[in-house]
Amino acid sequence: MFKKIIDNSMAKSPWIYHINTGSCNGCDIELVSVITPRYDAERMGFKLTGTPRHADIVVVSGPVTSQSKERLVRTLAQVPEPRVIVSLGSCPRPCNVFKGSYSVEGPLDKFCEVDVSVAGCTPKPEAIIDGLALAAQILKEKRRQK
Amino acid sequence: MQILLDLFYVLIFPGFLFCAVVGLLLAGIDRKIVARMQKRMGPPIVQPFYDFFKLLGKETIIPHAASRGVFIAAPLLGLVSLVVMALFIPVFGFTAFSGVADLIVILYLLTIPAAAIIVGGAASGSPYAGVGISREMVAIVAYELPLIIVLLTVGKKAALDGGITFSFTEIQAYQAEFGSMLSHWSMIPAAVAMLLVIPSEVGSHPFDVAEAETEICEGPLVEYSGSLLGIYKLNHAIKMFILTALFAALFLGGAGSGILIVDVLLLLLICTVVTILSMSLPHAISARLKVEKMFKFYWTLVTVLAVISLVLVWMGF
Repeated sequence: MFKKIIDNSMAKSPWIYHINTGSCNGCDIELVSVITPRYDAERMGFKLTGTPRHADIVVVSGPVTSQSKERLVRTLAQVPEPRVIVSLGSCPRPCNVFKGSYSVEGPLDKFCEVDVSVAGCTPKPEAIIDGLALAAQILKEKRRQK
Repeated sequence: MQILLDLFYVLIFPGFLFCAVVGLLLAGIDRKIVARMQKRMGPPIVQPFYDFFKLLGKETIIPHAASRGVFIAAPLLGLVSLVVMALFIPVFGFTAFSGVADLIVILYLLTIPAAAIIVGGAASGSPYAGVGISREMVAIVAYELPLIIVLLTVGKKAALDGGITFSFTEIQAYQAEFGSMLSHWSMIPAAVAMLLVIPSEVGSHPFDVAEAETEICEGPLVEYSGSLLGIYKLNHAIKMFILTALFAALFLGGAGSGILIVDVLLLLLICTVVTILSMSLPHAISARLKVEKMFKFYWTLVTVLAVISLVLVWMGF
């Protein structure tokens, strides 16, 4: 019974940590707008945290540049299990218009498993909330399988 | 039999279980009220329970640079001291333990959760924690002075023989006979000072300089994860209950109704109102203060309010 309470709480209190790996700041602004009074993702328990140690969901925005590659890998290694990685916008996975650039190390999938991908340049807040809600369910599944 | 009763006191009724449930509920009410003030829907009232149980289910990472024993012991030390404090704070007529100098014990025990944050942060070996613990120390120095003056004022007022009493039993007896402390006009500045001390003691928003998550990544808690972080969150919630209950005992005490369940419900009502007044309201209407601004605020305005009450009480009003 205790295990079931913990499993259910997983989906209801996902804390988000946001990493910008060379994004143009558009997706970052849209992510912040998700916690404003108009969309209020906190009603589902979402909370932005300041440190990867407290995070359940890691949101990555931007194509992975060569400067940010090492930081991304180190930050992801600090997130406790179970964790879910969400790619935000068109940049992290197909690299969008930055594809082929000398400074882009390229899709996020090379460095970690991506669980949810929210596409769009930039995605609408509704789409981001939908993606995060899906990520919360995946978090619960991961906890249950462990 | 006595041992069983003591165990019941420590683990269930005024002790651990009661504190944890009420504290987490108060934290949930606080979050909901703040959200409603900001025209948001807000999380459900049981959200802190979800947070706590989720953190129990997460992996607990102990960093390589941390000193392992202290890192694990610090949050537990804070929790234990908070539970002990709950045993001394009276629910109107009822106390689990009482002595001649409860107020002194409370005063010492109140610093231990803050010291636990400092020790845990120092043990985690992170530079952000270093900045956080120095801020936490400034916060302790800032709010301890007005808090001590408020306790002195209440002790002076409640002593019938002209001295100062540090016993909750005598304070409750005084309030049962002459009406609650808040009904004496000379105590009102001290009550306001106490209401302003509560948020910084808890580490609630406008005074959460140590755990500023937007500037220094949650300060001392930066390296904590999993169940240890959960215990820190629980400590924070229990501290909300302890301090509001302390306010109720100091300023709104009395004989109560004599029936324990009614008294407990009345205490919970007072705790909720005090939480909304002293924590939710400043959280919703103001931004975080700078460290030196906070220090100045406590050592000027709040201390002056407390001293006004002390002088009035000393003069016999």
